[in-house]
Amino acid sequence: MGSSTDPIISSGFDKLDKELPGGGWPTRNLIELLLPAEGLGEIRLLSPSLEQTTRSGRNILLVSPPYIPYMHAWEHLDIDSQRIVIARVYKPAERLWVLEQGIKSAAFGTVIGWLPEVSQQTTRRLQIIARTATSLVFLFRPVSAQFEPSAAPLRILLDSGRRHTLSLYLLKRRGAPLALPIRISLPWTRSFSSSIASLPASARHHAVDRSSLPDIIA
Amino acid sequence: MLWIALHCPTLSLDWIERRFPAALIPAMAVTVRKGNQVYIQQANKPAQQQGVTAHQSLASALSLFPDLVVVEHDPNEEMKALQEAAYAALRFTPNIVMQGSGLIAEVSASLKLFGGLKKLCQLLNRAVAAQGLQLCAGVAPTAGGAWLLARSASPQTVINGAGAKFRSMLDSLPVSLLESAQPHLEVIHGIGCKTLAELQQLPRGGIARRFGPKLPIELDRAYGDSPDPQKWLEVPEYFQQKMRLMAQVESVELLLVPVQRMIEQMCGWLAARHAAVSAFSFVLHHEYSLRQPHKSTPINIRLSEQSSDSRHLMILLRERLERTKIIVPVWELELIADEITTGADSNLELFPTAQSEATSLNRFIEKLTSRLGSQAITGLKVVSDHRPECSQRFEPLGISGLRETHREIIPTEWARPAWLADPPLELKLQRHQPVYGSPLKLIEGPERIEAGWWDDALIARNYFIAENELGQLLWIYCEHTPAEKDKKGKESKSWYLQGLFG
Repeated sequence: MGSSTDPIISSGFDKLDKELPGGGWPTRNLIELLLPAEGLGEIRLLSPSLEQTTRSGRNILLVSPPYIPYMHAWEHLDIDSQRIVIARVYKPAERLWVLEQGIKSAAFGTVIGWLPEVSQQTTRRLQIIARTATSLVFLFRPVSAQFEPSAAPLRILLDSGRRHTLSLYLLKRRGAPLALPIRISLPWTRSFSSSIASLPASARHHAVDRSSLPDIIA
Repeated sequence: MLWIALHCPTLSLDWIERRFPAALIPAMAVTVRKGNQVYIQQANKPAQQQGVTAHQSLASALSLFPDLVVVEHDPNEEMKALQEAAYAALRFTPNIVMQGSGLIAEVSASLKLFGGLKKLCQLLNRAVAAQGLQLCAGVAPTAGGAWLLARSASPQTVINGAGAKFRSMLDSLPVSLLESAQPHLEVIHGIGCKTLAELQQLPRGGIARRFGPKLPIELDRAYGDSPDPQKWLEVPEYFQQKMRLMAQVESVELLLVPVQRMIEQMCGWLAARHAAVSAFSFVLHHEYSLRQPHKSTPINIRLSEQSSDSRHLMILLRERLERTKIIVPVWELELIADEITTGADSNLELFPTAQSEATSLNRFIEKLTSRLGSQAITGLKVVSDHRPECSQRFEPLGISGLRETHREIIPTEWARPAWLADPPLELKLQRHQPVYGSPLKLIEGPERIEAGWWDDALIARNYFIAENELGQLLWIYCEHTPAEKDKKGKESKSWYLQGLFG
């Protein structure tokens, strides 16, 4: 399999790392993720590398995310929500500009952009900028983009398996193509629940705790 | 001591040319009055192409080229232009001495920081030349010597006299460069004395008696034989520079050159004060016009972190300028440093540190805010509240915004979705089953969230995790109210999409 000198960051999934050139997400390159719809587990797929980004003290930039990120959930994936910067721009030209500035800036360890439509020239331009940066750059694009050419050296089509699993089709990578999809199982609630389980039942933190109400009333 | 002297031979023209956009400079000449005759002192390139040269009388110059723009020699304006250029030079050394047509900078303490004499000389030359002056330079161990060498240099060259050859280089210079010899030049030349070496050989007492005591003193100071106290350029307490334009400018593009110059001046001033700017304003003054009642357009820029980096300040100002519509021609620019802070300069760090990463983040935020507004770029602050709608809020990013250590996350056994739909989306029903793309299958739940009785936003909801045929995992809820029964006696509840498990 092809490898390059670009530093890589483990995806956190052994099965996926094995198939990625170099053994992880390549930095300094565009990584295209083609997504049929939001809510298939795309953030959980990225969460191990995002967690690593914030743990090493670097920031994450989200460029025009499709919904509002629910930070409690991101925190449950151990991602430091204070290191997330959200750019809410929805004009294509502005979105692209912000994306370029974010990739160029030394401030971000990971840049994630949602681009409904981009041309091949644009991806080439972004790829050239990404070559000079040090960050991980993920682009979420619609599934229809798989038939358009793209300058991103790594393109992956995501598809939902059954619950909490994700099928990854590596459409393009450095080295030999991969015919079969990779199935990975996604993290669900984090180990948080285990620490809660160890607490006595009365100390559990419920949204509505009525167990003590009768005592108070009495 | 090591001195770099910058001499501007064409200052009387440069001060006015620098106020024109480069493409609009007309054929111009500066005049001086001698007796009742007016002569051309200097003519610029376009005028020279028309045959106008120095020492011509004004009448013959105008007969050669009637459209010639004639400017009277104005020492005040020249001095002002020179002073502005000196501000830009303050970046490289705080010790600057003003001369009539140039400046001398003492640079022995700056050599290491800027990478040696050659590099420093280049940088200094470029910085001052960028202010719109044409320069020739001289380097010498004495201020007077450097000044003489600079004046003997041909335009845009540097004479380096900083070595052992210094005295012999001075020796060969003509006497006419000495300021105190000006009234006596004819006599001095008449006695066969042309170079400084020949002047040095004459008896001292005789020179002082005949040509005044100033001449031997100037000579000794240039050679370094007697001490040479200097009057240094003083840096004002406040920075407020104005720049009058000579053309009516209606496009931002044409403003960028003078704007860049003013920013460089401000940064030099900041460097001299060991300070950085945290807020500055830039004002475009307009001609009076009925189209625009306002006489000026102010642009106020507040930085999230103080800076003295001219490139950064220029980017910020440029972003704002490019969004400013100039309706009425601009005739004057003004730059004011509103708030400055004195202190350490983080730009000199050897390795990128957490501090410098924070700086680049602040710069990124500034750049985006100045183009897109502060709403476009935010962080999300987590709030301890069980209601999803109230559990976080968008917050503008500042220096402190990203760096709080305490985070209040509500621990929960239940999974939370990565995406929130705000406001929640009411789902269609199909045979009393919620539909999103396809009918939903409930996987987990219900989880009861009931909160908000304290602030009039009471919610009581049963949350479920549902899946559709596409494989999307959704967070949906129905209001927990006493079930309303429709006519057939069946429960009809509304379902809402609250989030997606990304």
